[in-house]
Amino acid sequence: MRRYETIYILRPTLNEEEINTVVEKAQETITSNNGKIIELDRWGMRKLAYQIKKESQGFYIFCDYSAIPEAVTEMERRFRIDDAVLRYMTVKTADVITDEEIIEATARIADKQVVEEETEESAAGEKQPVQQTPSTSEKSEEVEKSEEA
Amino acid sequence: MAQRPQKRLFSRKKVCRFCTDKEMSIDYKDVKTLRNFVSERGKIIPRRIVGTCASHQRQLCEAIKRARHIALLPYSGNIQG
Repeated sequence: MRRYETIYILRPTLNEEEINTVVEKAQETITSNNGKIIELDRWGMRKLAYQIKKESQGFYIFCDYSAIPEAVTEMERRFRIDDAVLRYMTVKTADVITDEEIIEATARIADKQVVEEETEESAAGEKQPVQQTPSTSEKSEEVEKSEEA
Repeated sequence: MAQRPQKRLFSRKKVCRFCTDKEMSIDYKDVKTLRNFVSERGKIIPRRIVGTCASHQRQLCEAIKRARHIALLPYSGNIQG
């Protein structure tokens, strides 16, 4: 198993469902080949530094995972076919990764996310003493739900 | 014999920024630090000007090229937003 990270850019015109289907398909190709997802991060809409396929914005998705090389080539082949994907890039970060290291890495990232959420909540709480659900937490809940679905 | 005029009047010893600060890492996703090493035109600034050491300049070069491929940095033209 090797450790890779892939960034892919989706068309800005896609709605949430379409984005989810693309992400799920990409993850399926990895997991069906005994790969494991370590981190999936949606950076969201960003301005591109230059136009790609006449689009000046793009939806960035970052994925850190362990997989065999065949799974990566298969995923990239699908990206090339899919019209929704503007650009993709895969970088190998480690030649060998063991299961223990995968678990450790996922735990570390989960910890980091928890800390970030806490700091966000405390910052939001200071600004709004009245107990109202801040928009940031709503967004994160939505993302969690969509990942479960 | 007249002494040669000193050439190095205003030269300062440049130090590699990544060697002095061990916590600074080169990552193609970290656009903010990479921006310090490209010109306004988006070109990579040469080593003789920014003063990074050879190995770090090589890593930096690779990182900037990766960032360009996924449209985080421009290949050419002004840096905007």
